Amino acid sequence: MKAVILDGIVLGLGLGLLGVGLTLVYGLAGVLNLAYGEIAVLAAIIVAQLIAGGVPAGLAAVIGVLAGATAGILIDLTLMRPVYRERGGHRVLLGLLLTLGLAFVIEGVLTWRDPLGALSINVAGGPVRILGVPLAVGSVWASVIAVAVGAALLVFFTATTFGRAVRSVIQDELGAQLVGISPPLVRTVIFGLSGALAGLVAVTQAMTAPVSVTAGFNLTVLALIVSVVGGLGSVPGAFLAGVLLGIVDSASATYIGHYITSIVLLGAAALTILVWPSGLLGSHEG
Amino acid sequence: MLEVATLAAGYLGQRVVEDVDLAVRPGEAVAIVGSNGAGKTTLFRAIAGLLRPLSGSVVLDGRDVTRWPAHRVAKAGVAYVPAERHLFPGMTVRTNLALGAYPHRPDHETLQLVFDIFPALKERLHQRAETLSGGQQQMLAVGRALMSRPRLLMLDEPSTGLAPKLAKDAFEALRGLKQTGMTLLVAEQQVPLALSIADRGYVLENGRIGLQGSPRELDQNPEVRRAYLGIA
Repeated sequence: MKAVILDGIVLGLGLGLLGVGLTLVYGLAGVLNLAYGEIAVLAAIIVAQLIAGGVPAGLAAVIGVLAGATAGILIDLTLMRPVYRERGGHRVLLGLLLTLGLAFVIEGVLTWRDPLGALSINVAGGPVRILGVPLAVGSVWASVIAVAVGAALLVFFTATTFGRAVRSVIQDELGAQLVGISPPLVRTVIFGLSGALAGLVAVTQAMTAPVSVTAGFNLTVLALIVSVVGGLGSVPGAFLAGVLLGIVDSASATYIGHYITSIVLLGAAALTILVWPSGLLGSHEG
Repeated sequence: MLEVATLAAGYLGQRVVEDVDLAVRPGEAVAIVGSNGAGKTTLFRAIAGLLRPLSGSVVLDGRDVTRWPAHRVAKAGVAYVPAERHLFPGMTVRTNLALGAYPHRPDHETLQLVFDIFPALKERLHQRAETLSGGQQQMLAVGRALMSRPRLLMLDEPSTGLAPKLAKDAFEALRGLKQTGMTLLVAEQQVPLALSIADRGYVLENGRIGLQGSPRELDQNPEVRRAYLGIA
């Protein structure tokens, strides 16, 4: 029981980190980026090739994160231009279509160039016992990184001037313009941050299990579920939802069977939409 | 300070305001009066950069800001308080005020000035903007605008949604602001209120400036009296 919950928390922190990059862009720009998982995979393949080429894993990981950030910024500056000209439902729909198209393109190119590509990062060291439960050292590191990044994001959004500016654009874009904040600049920065988070997720996931060239769709769906349950646009919501869903996932895998987990997770998302349409922490707060 | 020349603006190619000339000098309070739908909001949006003018020019302190985006006009010293206020609803009074000073940290002196004018805000620093009453939200909107130490404060219908007594209080506060040397441009349907604080006024009718003059001249003009003051 203790092991199930602890495993769930480890899994959930990873899910939270995964969801937060997607949820931020939706809250800010009204775009559900369906290419999100593919950005993570792109970063994973870049890191894998760098490591295969002899680059130290730490440096390769940093380059992977930067590659994710660059991809995010490029998407914002090019593909999203026509999307931002639309409002409301049209913006959501056009954003979905264009990012879905991009997802196909990235996946197609990657599987063509590197069909067997996968990133796995071995973290040296034996299992670490936490509360008497042995956990793989890679999982422990991945969780530590997720918690640290989550805390850093919270500080950024609540205690820094630029972080507050980002939240102000989420709450009232016109009001933000009136105090001198440029919404396009804020969107570009957050798209870059989202891409960097996707790159980081690729690295932390690879510490526990290989991230293969075909993992993108699965990652996007998981990020979507976490975002919906946590409340679109909420950073603490994404982590709370990630941990809760991680425990649900771990429990259903242990007591029912691994085949059932994706159905259980989708069920949890559907239930959340019915009971709390704005998600667990989906209020005005970004 | 502000010079607007032959300005035309509107939506989807339809001109809502046309051929508008107006000027605001430093330290002056200027009122734009006119009925609902006369084009006051469109004119203000065009000046503030929220709406791209179709023709004409907006010059601020000698700089042509006609096609600047709203956030640049704001940084150049124009603080615009729209009738709908556009506060940050889920943030506290304190954070709303702090963001008014963006990209700088809020400085104490300006904060003190805002609290002097609106003591109610000081008592509600940690309250979310969405939980404030209409009058308090109006105070916060003006307070947030003041935090940037603007050169020009533009207010669109500050009496919107306020009971007559509160609307009067709001204009009393504006009078106090004017005495500190603030330059004001106020659009208002309630002509007597607007003229009570103004040095000069313009009457906007069907998107064009009809009359202009001192509050006295406008007040005594039979047409203005018939149309806006409800006096035969």
